[in-house]
Amino acid sequence: MSIIKTEKLSKVYNPDTVPVHALREVTMSIEQGEFTAIVGPSGSGKTTLLNMLGGLDRPSDGSVFINDTNVTGLSDKKRIDFRLNNIGFVFQHYNLIPVFTARENVSFIMLLQKRGKEEMQRRADQLLEEVGLGDRKDARPGELSGGQQQRVAVARALATEPRFILADEPTANLDSASAMNLLDLMEQMNREKGVTFIFSTHDQRVIERARRVITMVDGRIDTDEVRKSETDAA
Amino acid sequence: MNMLLTISWRNIWRHPARSGILLVAIIAGLWAGIVTMGWGKGMVQQRSDYLIRSELSHAQIHHPEFLAEREPWMHIPEAEEVSRWLAGDERIRNHTMRSRADAMAQSPLTTTGVRLIGVDIDTEPDVTTMHRQLTVGEYLDSDVRQPVFIGERLAEKLNLEIGHRLVVRFQDMDNEITAGAFTISGLYRTASSDFDERNVFVRKEHLSELLAQEPVVHEIAMVLHDMEMVDEVVADLNRLFPGVSAQSWYEISPELRYMNDMIGIMLYFIIGIIMLALAFGILNTMLMAIFERVRELGMLLSIGMSKRRVFSMIMLESVMLSLSGAAAGMLLSRLSIGWLSRHGIDLSMFGDGLAEFGIDAVIYPVLDGQDFVVVAIIVIAATLIASIWPGLKAIRLNPIVAARE
Ligand SMILES: Nc1ncnc2c1ncn2[C@@H]1O[C@H](COP(=O)(O)OP(=O)(O)O)[C@@H](O)[C@H]1O
Ligand SMILES: [Mg+2]
Repeated sequence: MSIIKTEKLSKVYNPDTVPVHALREVTMSIEQGEFTAIVGPSGSGKTTLLNMLGGLDRPSDGSVFINDTNVTGLSDKKRIDFRLNNIGFVFQHYNLIPVFTARENVSFIMLLQKRGKEEMQRRADQLLEEVGLGDRKDARPGELSGGQQQRVAVARALATEPRFILADEPTANLDSASAMNLLDLMEQMNREKGVTFIFSTHDQRVIERARRVITMVDGRIDTDEVRKSETDAA
Repeated sequence: MNMLLTISWRNIWRHPARSGILLVAIIAGLWAGIVTMGWGKGMVQQRSDYLIRSELSHAQIHHPEFLAEREPWMHIPEAEEVSRWLAGDERIRNHTMRSRADAMAQSPLTTTGVRLIGVDIDTEPDVTTMHRQLTVGEYLDSDVRQPVFIGERLAEKLNLEIGHRLVVRFQDMDNEITAGAFTISGLYRTASSDFDERNVFVRKEHLSELLAQEPVVHEIAMVLHDMEMVDEVVADLNRLFPGVSAQSWYEISPELRYMNDMIGIMLYFIIGIIMLALAFGILNTMLMAIFERVRELGMLLSIGMSKRRVFSMIMLESVMLSLSGAAAGMLLSRLSIGWLSRHGIDLSMFGDGLAEFGIDAVIYPVLDGQDFVVVAIIVIAATLIASIWPGLKAIRLNPIVAARE
């Protein structure tokens, strides 16, 4: 069963002044366990699409279903709650709360979910170990490298046990070694825990790591290609 | 909730200088406002205490028209009867009888209008403290013939000294102009140079002799054991002695009560203005904090932090910042007022100027608990109001700004 489905999803920015057709009737679906890249030139609508899938913005037309919920129809308040409990986010930057340590950043989102204090602590520690930051738990974002910050963001995204994780250009600010490390981590989480990842990128080496590549051109899906990777074969 | 407090508190210290400046502004503003308030209240209270002690007493009795018309014949015929009643009433500590006349005082140089007050030197010191204002010479218990006790200021104006003669002219009870010669036994000075220039004290028997060749009483003044009883005593007197008019200190000197009320309003007004300025400081600081954190706040809204929580976070931040400043400012003011109320604020460098207005050079500020409570309420209200806007601003942010480059 698909966890995400869009139907004729369209988005027009500034419809009254200078209309920008960022998405044009995008129909697609994502299955549980996918490791999917949204690619395409700058301005092709990748971010807009991810924002729609994440319920961060409302489409001008069409709808987004996550499992059986029509996200488009939810009130603002319900959408925030829905995001908290169903979707993990990793952004290109400004991911973390600068005044919180890595551990607090991961705990905080579980606090928003009203989880018990002990569980919060335990899970935060465990997730930071898993993303390879066991020894930097008490560091604040400013004391971490860009790659380490993105790992904390991944740990935070995993903390809420979301149905899927949306990552908009998560490697764009990283050097290539860190970018590959982050991809390794995401891939590992996908393989070991079955976490669904949908990420946008225009970095060729990142694209090569995806098992499904959706290419956007001018607000439309141009190609949608599923690859057989070594991990699948194994 | 705990983490929300933590995040807000740490956010405050992201810009230690900026938050510090706001804190110092709040502390200094409140301190200045509260100390000014204490000073103003102390000044007014000192002035009214002083006036009550030195001239007004707690209540006075006159012929019903005396205070308005001041005619010599408007005396109190039943003075002895009233005096007996006052002596027998337990609420009254002391009372004294006076005769009075409006006169022209003459010197070789000039003539000036004065108020002659004939006092009973045995009982007057138990009612007012004028005798303590003596600066040179002797009070009216002096051995000189027909002693007179005048203000330094009047002596200066008339160019007279101790031992000189002061000639006064006034109407007697039969409306005849009469003149009397007194010998200056002593000079006094009060905080009010205006008072000092106009009030001339002689012995009651000497003034009575000139007015009517027999004892005349124009005024009976009294002090009570408990000043709060004054309305009651005045009502009793007016009921028992319909021929006279008894009035409390604030009826005799309504401007004194007016001054009390006015200074109260004015001081809250000052605090209000200071708080308005501080509220703008808080608003400005918090708006700056939000504008530079737009992406971060957008990220928080994106990942699922509810608007209510974002609002609380911003409110907490600004309330913690300003209330810690306010608490420190109030504590500092409290301590300052405590110290100053014992040691006083000495403005004697401006003393001569202040005396024109009847203000003591050394003021002992006072503020009661109620004043602090009112200030605290104003501060909390201003803080909350100043914090709401930034909070609302924060939740009106569009979360997608976080994801956009
Ligand atoms: N908030 C916005 N207001 C107006 N135009 C926008 C906004 N966001 C994106 N766009 C426009 O929509 C188009 C798609 O943008 P975007 O989804 O950010 O593309 P990508 O992420 O692929 O670079 C672009 O032309 C962009 O300028
Ligand atoms: Mg983009």
